[in-house]
Parts: sequence; structure tokens; C-alpha cells
Amino acid sequence: MVNFEINDKQYSAPDGTLIIQVADREHIAIPRFCYHPKLSIVASCRMCLVEVAKSPKPLPACATPVAEGMKIWTHSPCACDAQKSVMEFLLINHPLDCPICDQGGECELQDQALEYGKDVSRFTEGKRSVKDLDIGPLIKTDMTRCIHCTRCVRFGTEIAGMRELGATGRGEHMEIGTFLEQTVDSEVSGNVIDLCPVGALTSKPFHHKGRAWELQQVASIAPHDCVGSHVYVHTLRGEVMRVVPRQEDSINEVWISDRDRFSYSGLKSPDRLLKPLIKKNNEWVETDWDLALQFTIKSLQAILEKEGGRSVGALVSPSATLEECYLAQKWLRGMGISSIDHRLHRMDFSCDSGGPSPCPTFGLALTELENADTILLIGSHPRTEQPLINHRLAKAARKGAQIIMVNPIQYDFNFKVAAELTPSGGQLLHPLLGIMNALLSQKNERPHFAWLTPFLKNTVSTPEEKQVAEWLGRGNKKVAIFLGLQAQAHWHASALQLVAEALALFCQASLGYLTEGANSVGAWVSGVLPDQGPGGISLSEGKGLNAHSMVKTPLPAYVLFGGVEPEFDLANTVAARRALSESAFVVAFSPFRGGMCEQYAKVMLPIAAYTETEGTFINGEGRWQSFNAANPPPGEARPGWEVLRALTALCGGPGSLYSRSEEVRDELKHIVQNVPSVTLPSLEQRFRRIEPILSESKEGLRVVTEWPIYRVDSLVRRSKPLQDTAASPLFRARLNPKTASLYSIKGENKMRIRREGEFECILPVAVDKKIPENTVHIASALEGGGNMGQQGAVQVFLESNKDA
Amino acid sequence: MLNWLKQFLKSIAFWELLKGMRVTGRHFFVKKITIQYPEEETPKSPRFKGLHALRKYPNGEERCIACKLCEAVCPAVCITIDSDESSDGTRRTTRYDIDLFKCIYCGFCEEACPVDAIVLTSQDKYCFENQGENIMTKEKLLAIGDQFEQEIAKDREADRSYR
Ligand code: SF4
Ligand code: SF4
Ligand code: SF4
Ligand code: FES
Repeated sequence: MVNFEINDKQYSAPDGTLIIQVADREHIAIPRFCYHPKLSIVASCRMCLVEVAKSPKPLPACATPVAEGMKIWTHSPCACDAQKSVMEFLLINHPLDCPICDQGGECELQDQALEYGKDVSRFTEGKRSVKDLDIGPLIKTDMTRCIHCTRCVRFGTEIAGMRELGATGRGEHMEIGTFLEQTVDSEVSGNVIDLCPVGALTSKPFHHKGRAWELQQVASIAPHDCVGSHVYVHTLRGEVMRVVPRQEDSINEVWISDRDRFSYSGLKSPDRLLKPLIKKNNEWVETDWDLALQFTIKSLQAILEKEGGRSVGALVSPSATLEECYLAQKWLRGMGISSIDHRLHRMDFSCDSGGPSPCPTFGLALTELENADTILLIGSHPRTEQPLINHRLAKAARKGAQIIMVNPIQYDFNFKVAAELTPSGGQLLHPLLGIMNALLSQKNERPHFAWLTPFLKNTVSTPEEKQVAEWLGRGNKKVAIFLGLQAQAHWHASALQLVAEALALFCQASLGYLTEGANSVGAWVSGVLPDQGPGGISLSEGKGLNAHSMVKTPLPAYVLFGGVEPEFDLANTVAARRALSESAFVVAFSPFRGGMCEQYAKVMLPIAAYTETEGTFINGEGRWQSFNAANPPPGEARPGWEVLRALTALCGGPGSLYSRSEEVRDELKHIVQNVPSVTLPSLEQRFRRIEPILSESKEGLRVVTEWPIYRVDSLVRRSKPLQDTAASPLFRARLNPKTASLYSIKGENKMRIRREGEFECILPVAVDKKIPENTVHIASALEGGGNMGQQGAVQVFLESNKDA
Repeated sequence: MLNWLKQFLKSIAFWELLKGMRVTGRHFFVKKITIQYPEEETPKSPRFKGLHALRKYPNGEERCIACKLCEAVCPAVCITIDSDESSDGTRRTTRYDIDLFKCIYCGFCEEACPVDAIVLTSQDKYCFENQGENIMTKEKLLAIGDQFEQEIAKDREADRSYR
């Protein structure tokens, strides 16, 4: 602690604190441009000059630590004079185009010019102008306005981990740009819009659309991943104009991903569903809510009476709000429908059968993740799946954590990865067993794990796996293990989960799930599961089918809730298409029409999209985060929970008792607090269930699919700016050169992929060294990617290439 | 006694009446300023605040750059603007509505405009026959601007040295 004076008042702060930090803490205004609390310090703009006693010249507050007895004046004539002069220099080259600049009204330069600038310019010479760059569909540049604070450059190197923007030239000739005419492709690139203090980098989708001062700001929660980033939704006359981050240091700090920032464009998609629609003679007819709801209930009841409770399958979006999830399962179970699920990407449920599934949380807080020593990620590509988890991982890596990846293909990481295991054929289970085996043999002094040995009799550990085992088993280190989206969507998902559990138990690590959607935990808590009710309580009777079995053998009727598009969202899209088009009745609760829904659905009920409804998401840490609606839903669309309330009431339930969505949440909270926590059968027992898998052969070619970053849900898929980015992949089968030559396939060929009796599709080939052998990597949920079945073993053939 | 005499003389001479007629009498001989509206009109100051118009540059380009400062400054909140990028990449309004029923003709919008796009012309003769006509749309405002551009320019020129 040191004591010092600012503006003749006594303060104290820990040693090494910067003057500007103390000033911010004490709400003393110091102008600044280059300083940002989350970035490194360069002290290049000199706007923050303050007078310090005994120093011959004013000093930059952002780079000067406080010292014992220091006397600082932030508004003395000397300091003000310095600040005014710097301002005058900055304005020499800055254009006077505030009226057409999107930053106008929220510009740091504008604000500070008002306070520190002169009203008349003494500079009559010509101003500098810089050519604009096209850096992609998300960020608009106007480089003449740049004041060279280099915040954007530092963000690229320090946070995004990609040096995309840089400064070239010096002095008057300094320019910020991409090194080559390139686009900026980072998944968090949009944050430079907030960082740039002037209008040099602004949002392209918001370009010239509105003014900061006329926007209404509503706090909300981002709806695309399990991080639950805090955001503000800005609306103008009931229309969402933009989404910006809301600071929450324990979750998203000051950042959000581009997906959370720009997905709102999808809200204005032309295929918004505006009125309840019923299909009559293959024509969509507009109707009113009463008729539509009654028709839905009657149709479902007729099918249930005829075919029984298992004849209807309900797929609920993992991004539906907690209130929607809870009311949906309450309504469905009340009707006698037991097949309810939200785990759309999953295809293997073998370890859940006969026992409850664990709540899919992170297992630790995000701030703790940053301080873990060893982190094992299984089947996970956080950069695209949960960009802000990736940011925490990068921070952990910078602090020296060993990060180990077990993935079906090699990815580009923006941090140091200690080991990356990419088994051939996407067989993630084998390296995990190898690691387990190595751990067991390293630590044979742990007798209570002896039961594991028989399960590993066919496993031989590679040196790499032994090395990983050593990092994991170091003892008194903080270890975190995560099962990513690809592990959960894997054909061996259950086995992966059990082995990960065993590893976690063995290394005293936390085990976490990086789940799909924004509210997987919430869906679990509210009982959107075929065999678990609210609070995760196991149902003794009335168990239903899981998401995969619901479409594997077609059912007579389906309920799709929350914009679920099974043709994109399910693990087996081929089976999903078939099942839905063959079924007699499909009701879709969705903000959107369009796509295949118009073909298979019989009723479409318009519900509000995320900014239009209040609700709660539970993020991966288990935090209940409620938010309000920012704008009203378009047309006759209603918030999902209200529709479900009406349905429950129509079925004679007590639905109409809720007058506000908070009551739904509180009812669930009460249930959750009063049910016993879920107890799983012992690991040994559950391992028995996967025994046959452990001895499965490793050979053969396998398809591995992955949901690309901007194809994860119906809203993102409709956001034009995101679809236009370079991150939107083409429909290609990517193969290792060796595998390709084994089948005499070349880059320009087309390939036929087939699984007997299930699907067949032809698609162009891309040869890529990052794909391990025996793996065919295909992006799912793409337009035109419809014929792809689920992951796993396939046969491939060279398609005779007519165009070649 | 003397007072009584004074009063008496005043009253028989109709003094009070004459005094009362003094103003009338004076005005009887003064030059008349009655304006025979509508045959005649009073002269207007170049600062007269009448019907609004949106101006164009001599080359026909719209002046307004959709900065929304007029919308922000308007104390009656009667201006509504939507903006977007136009086909040539410039910032333009896609909607510019003024509700003349709300407008208090303060002229703040004109003061706020950085490019002299929105102006209050000296037009004071206009009426609405149907509901909704009180909303001046961008098209109407531009048409008024086109029609009275010479007059508008002259008024601004006359007032220039005071601004
Ligand atoms: S573009 Fe913006 S953030 Fe980047 S250096 Fe220029 S002013 Fe700073
Ligand atoms: S004259 Fe005044 S009240 Fe009328 S539009 Fe302009 S600013 Fe608004
Ligand atoms: S009329 Fe003037 S002040 Fe109003 S938006 Fe247009 S340019 Fe801006
Ligand atoms: S903020 Fe201190 S030098 Fe830029």
C-alpha cells in the first residue's frame, strides 16, 4: 500500500497500481484513448497526461504507477494545457464528419473534444486520408477516422489470439489495416467495434441505421451457447438494431462472440411466422390462436387415443427458455406424451438407459477455469462452439496451464496446446482408454480402481498418451475435464462420458459438459428429458423415447418447440426428414416458417424469438439468469410460455394460474430445491453397459460431422451477415491425403458416401492434412447438405466425375 | 368655489368628451395600415417560420445526410427519421416525417441541421382536408423545397450576416 495525493486529496492503493486505475476507482475523470483495462498498456496517445509534483513534464496516467508521497493533479493548468495540446494534434487529421459517422453520439473523441478541444482549428493545411479496407461482412472501416490508439491491434494479439490487424508506417503515415487485403475472421472480431474509441471500426449490419441516443437498451442474455454472456439489446421503435456486450467479469468480461452480436439480423428474416397457420388440402391457411390451439390438441389427442403415449415425440430446442421448457414438459406429460428431449445432437444414449443422466454443467466456475493447471478437452472445438470459453482457455494457457485436446480432427487453436490427440477414424474413445490405462499403470497403488483393469485389457498406451497421463496424474494440481459438443454427438458418446467420468474420479478433476444451445442445463433442470422430470428426478413410469430414437423409427406425430429444425439440428438428419415427412401430424412452435417445416408440419404456431420474450437461461455454471423482453414479437406471435400456458389451460391443467413468467420460474425453483439430488449407479455398474464397445474394432472409414459456428440454430442460420462470413463452410467431404489416395480420390473429384440401408449422398472432395486417416469430415446443417446421415462407419466410392 | 367653477366650465364645454375623442381624432388623420388580406399581405421577415421544406444542392443531390440531429433537438418530438445506406453508399433517410399538428414552429430543427437541409420556409398558407395529411413525408418536403428553393435561398442570404 502506498499513500499519495490526487488533486490535493489523500488516497491509498496497492503498490504498482497505475494512476488511471486509482482515478477510475475514485471517479476522477482523466481523458484517455489508448488505455483499456482489459488490454496491455502502450501509452501511445498521450491524452491522459497529468501533472505530477517534481516531474519536469506531465506524465501519462495510464503508464505511471502511483508511489509513496506522490502528488498528482489531473486538472491543473499544466495538465489541462497538455491535454488540450494533445487533443489539438489528434484533431489535425481527424475528419469533421460526425454527422455521418456511426460513432457520433457515443464517440470518445467527440466527448473529449467537447471538453478539451478548442472551438476553432488553427490547422488550415490539407488533412490526411486513408483508403478504406473491406475486412468482411461484420466490420465497417473508415480508416481516415483512425487515431492510432492501437486498441484493435492489441485486441487481436492479446484476446482474439490472431494478429489480423496491424499498424504499418510511422508518424503521419501510420495506417491500421490487415497485412494483406484480408478479411478479419476471428470469432470474437466484433469486439473491436466497441473498443475503437472513434468511428474507424463500426458495425457493418448497423451501418447508418440509427443513432446511439435514440436506442432503448434492455439487458439480456445471449442465446447461442452455454456461456450465457451478458448482453444489451438496443432497440429502436420496437425493432432490434444491435446487440452489444454488458460487462460481467465472472462470465464474459467485456466481450461477446460475433455469433451473439450479429445473430439479431435473423430476427428480421423475411420468413418470420406472423400468424398461426393450419395446413388444409396442402395449402397454408391463416387462422386465429383459439382455433389453432384447439386443432393442435384435438389432433394430438386423436393420435394418442389411437396409438398410445409413445406415438408422439416432442423435440424441444436446447435454447428454449427455462419457463418454456418447464411448461412444455408439464403440458406434454399432462397430455400423456412421454417422449420429450432437448439433446438434439446426440445419437448414443446407451449409458442413460435405465439410469438418470447427470446435470450437464461445467463442473467449475468460468473464473476457476482460468486458474486450472491441466485441462483435458474431449471432442471440443471451443473457438467455434463456445468462443468465450475459448477465451478463458487462452488465458489459462497464458498462465501456464497444460491444455490437452482429444479431437476427431486437428483444429487451429489460438493458444498453446500441450498435446493434441487426433485418432484415426474419429475414434475418440481409444486415446482416452490409452490415457486411462497409462494412469492406472502409473499409479497402481490405487486399489479401488482395480475394477477398471479388466475393461482395459486390449488397450496399449502410446507414448503421447503416457505423457498426457503424467500431466493429468500429477496430484495436487487443479485438473478440469470437459466433454465437448463433438463428444456428446459422438457415436460412442456414452462410453466417452463414462471414461471421462472415470478419468475425473481418478485425477480428482472436475468434469464438465460444454453443451449445445443456451439452456441445456435449464432443459435438464426442468425435466425436458424422456426419463427424468423437473429437478432431474428419475421417473419410475412413463418413460419415453430419446431424441434419436424418436426419429430412428418414425412416429405418427411430432411436436417441435422453439424453432427446432430437425433437418439441420438432429444427429441423423436423413432419418429426421423421413420420420417427419411420414408422420401424420407435426406441430411446429417456431418464430420462423420456411425451410422444410412448411412441407412436413400441419400446424405452425408463431412464438417469440429470443429478444421478444422474457425468460431464464441456466448457463453451464448453473447460474439462473433471467432477462426481459426487449421488443414485442411481430404479428400475432406470442411468447412461448404464454402459448404453453394457454395450451395447459385448454387441456384442463392449472396453466392459467400463472400471470407472470416469474411465477413459472419460481414454481420450478421450489421443486428443484425440494427434490433429492440425482444419484447415478456406480461407475463400475455403468461400465458394464459399454463393455461391448470397448472391444469394438478400430478399423474402417468413418464420417465425422460438426455443426459449424454459424449453423447452430434457426436464428443464426437466418442471420445474413454471419452467413456471409468466411467461417461459413462449403458442403465438402474433407479427407486426409493418404486416405484419399487409398480410394484413388483426388481433390477435384466427387465422392459417394453410403451406409447400407440408411443413406447415400454425393459430394465434392477436399483433401486436407488436418483430417486424420480414415476420417471423412463433413460440416452438418448446411443448405443442400440434406442427404447426410448420422456419424459413424460408412463406405465411400469414387463418383465417376463427369465434369472432370 | 373655484373648483366648482372649473368643473362647471369643463362640463358645459364637453371637455372630457373631447379628451376621450383625442386618440380617435388623431387616428382619423393618420395614414391607415389595414391590410386587405387576401388581396394584400404583410411583408415577412426572412426569418419567418412557416411550412417546412427539405432542400437539395444545386446539382439535385439531397442535402439531408440523416444525421438525426433535427430529430433529437425537436422539442415537440414531431420528427421521425429512419436512415440507411443508399445505393451510392452515402448516408440517407429512408423516411423523414414531420407531424405538423405537433410542430410548434420553433425552428430548432433548422438551427441544428449541419447542412441546411431542413428549413422553415416563409410559406404560411396551407391546410389539411383529410386525416393523415398533417404528416409531411420526405417526398412532400422535398417537393416543397424544390418549389420554393429560390425564395428559401434568398431568405437565407438575407439573414446570413446575423448567423
Ligand atoms: S482503428 Fe480504432 S481501435 Fe484501431 S487504432 Fe484506429 S482508432 Fe484505435
Ligand atoms: S420547428 Fe421546432 S417543433 Fe417544429 S419540427 Fe422543427 S424543431 Fe420540431
Ligand atoms: S435534416 Fe439536417 S439535421 Fe435533420 S437529419 Fe437531415 S441533415 Fe441531419
Ligand atoms: S491513455 Fe495514456 S497514453 Fe493513451
